[in-house]
Amino acid sequence: MLHFLQFAAVRAAMALFTLLMVSLIVFTLMELVPGNCAERYLAFKNTQGSGISVEDIEAEERRLGLDRPFLVRWGSWVGNVFFRGEFGDSCILRLNINDLLGDKFLISLGICLTALALAYLIAIPVGIISASSNSAMLNGSLRFVSYLGLAMPNFLLALIIMLISTVVWGDSLTGLFSNEYRDADWSWDRVKDFLSRAWLPVFILGWSATAFALQTVRALMLDEQSKLYVTAARARGLFGRRLLWRYPARHALGPIVNSLGFDLNRIFNELPIVALILTLTEAGALLLEALARSNDQQLAGAIIFLLTASIVTVNFLTDMALALIDPRMRKSVMGGAA
Amino acid sequence: MSSTGDTRTNLAETTGPHVEVVETDDAVSRRAREAYFTATQRQLIWARFRKNRTAMIAATVLILLILMGLFAPFLSPYDPTIKGRDKDYTNGAPQIPQFCDHNGCSLRPFIYGVKRERSIETNFRWVTSIDTENRKYVQFFVQGDPYHLFGVIPGEVHLIGVDEGFIHLFGTDDTGKDIFSRTLHAIYTSLAVGTLGVLISFVLALIIGGAAGYFGGVADGIIQMVTDAIRTIPIIPLFMAIAAFIPDTWSSETRFFFISIIIGFINWPTLARRVRTHLLVERTQEYVLAAQLSGAGAGHIIRRHLLPSFTSYIIVDLVISFPYIVLSETALSFIGLGLKDPVNSLGVMLQNTTSADVLLNYQWYFIPVFFFIALVLAFVFVGDGLRDAADPYASSKK
Repeated sequence: MLHFLQFAAVRAAMALFTLLMVSLIVFTLMELVPGNCAERYLAFKNTQGSGISVEDIEAEERRLGLDRPFLVRWGSWVGNVFFRGEFGDSCILRLNINDLLGDKFLISLGICLTALALAYLIAIPVGIISASSNSAMLNGSLRFVSYLGLAMPNFLLALIIMLISTVVWGDSLTGLFSNEYRDADWSWDRVKDFLSRAWLPVFILGWSATAFALQTVRALMLDEQSKLYVTAARARGLFGRRLLWRYPARHALGPIVNSLGFDLNRIFNELPIVALILTLTEAGALLLEALARSNDQQLAGAIIFLLTASIVTVNFLTDMALALIDPRMRKSVMGGAA
Repeated sequence: MSSTGDTRTNLAETTGPHVEVVETDDAVSRRAREAYFTATQRQLIWARFRKNRTAMIAATVLILLILMGLFAPFLSPYDPTIKGRDKDYTNGAPQIPQFCDHNGCSLRPFIYGVKRERSIETNFRWVTSIDTENRKYVQFFVQGDPYHLFGVIPGEVHLIGVDEGFIHLFGTDDTGKDIFSRTLHAIYTSLAVGTLGVLISFVLALIIGGAAGYFGGVADGIIQMVTDAIRTIPIIPLFMAIAAFIPDTWSSETRFFFISIIIGFINWPTLARRVRTHLLVERTQEYVLAAQLSGAGAGHIIRRHLLPSFTSYIIVDLVISFPYIVLSETALSFIGLGLKDPVNSLGVMLQNTTSADVLLNYQWYFIPVFFFIALVLAFVFVGDGLRDAADPYASSKK
């Protein structure tokens, strides 16, 4: 127990350190964009007809606290994010970022986590079966499917699905809500409407994640199966599914749990592009809009930070889960920082 | 292999005037074993790679695609930019050369000419119609738009073309640019971005992973913590943010280089980790100690002794990472944050394809996708084959 607590504390500290690093990177990126908020506010005023001077800009900078040194500003940004969950205002849209994001980020997270879950629900049984079977047909076709999953990035898949559905059904299957529910409050009907449309992004995002997961599971199972303890178990008379589930599958579980965080990372990478094609109204599309169209650094920074924070959280949770199922992990408090 | 068969046939003639030195099977197999033990690493990898049929097919496809990319200016009938556009055939369907039609057959394949007209019958809109009476025969080695092969060799001969007018094997886009020519040039762009990106991530990985692995201890710990933190950030959104800073005033060449550099950054953490792990194992070997005792510096030992010990693995890793770099470029360009118009790349070509107009009416915009899936698949299979071939334990496992 003591070991476990120690391990948890070290891992939590490491996660916190990672978050701080990430916030520094994100904040620096936000600062690199030419023009600060004060200039933008006043540029807006300028378009309204009132003239502005250098003094006006400096006064505005003082009002917004932009004249403080970089590290102090970073500190206050991080403080607000960590302790109050506040990302401040977007100075292009002049709106609070939390209001802007609303439930959009949660929708994105939900879609990505479902895609991840789906990927492993498919990959674990199929991977184990393909690793233990000698059928060349099965293995060859699985290999091909998973390579296709690697080679055909999600956005190409999304495009092709759109192409086919437009030609065949005359409906491009895009969007997350139908028109009448787009701005409605959450209700049972809205949920149903959402689910009837969310399966496509889940499927598309899950596609290459499944391919990756399948490769991982298969490789791990093949590695484990050739080990001596499996031979020993076989010599004791265990065979078939019982043998697989009791020994090699358990050993292979560790690395799989460990890789969840990186799989989520990969899905997040694809999210903005898939969102663009399917015209989803969630955080990925918002991020793209903030970057490519409006150059809204506060909003983009907030979204990137939130995405990374969810990966760090998943990494921390998987570490904890690993420590629970695998005592070896607990012993190596510092080591094994994979 | 063949020498075994020869010795068997020679065995009968062990007497007589022309007795040759005959090797027994034993000697042959010993020779084979000796060849195996004295073979260089590269020869061993090649021997194993050759046995992998899928990888060999993929390698052939890959070489073909690379040649297509390299000789794109010669193979493509027209200039891929706005210069080579066919203004009378915008959004035109692919023209497939045929041998026979209602007027009889010909040995030389032909396509039909197109007419573009606007009159009261067409409601005063431009309408393109195919004129089946107007045959245009496909010619080889025709004079066309001037180009520079590999950027230096000037030329204006193109592999295919038609007598007068244009031939568009894959159709045209909304400005009348030939999609076939653009596809070939896009393959070249992808290869160029990939090569540049791979080189950059390679150098970065060598420096960072090399330092972490060679010095170990505290330096390693710090570098690892920082790389791990960077690795948790979803890299595409991050680089989208960086790419958004590129001013619009940059020329397409500058933009191209900047994007390649950004994309090179995507891949280095994975590669750096591999380099580090390998160095951590190798640096405790005796030959490193010997070099240190002879007074060699850290840089010298890394360059002269440690790097050569795993160049082949690094090459394999580079081949494996190549498709991901190509795909990242495509994704960035597709959302409009990567390469821009005068440069041809798959992402640029696909930019406008999500509109309902294209999806419903101009499906040939998607033809290049299949070339790219082929390119990436070929790279993945070759990379996989190389990895299996370079793994010294692969054969003993099976």
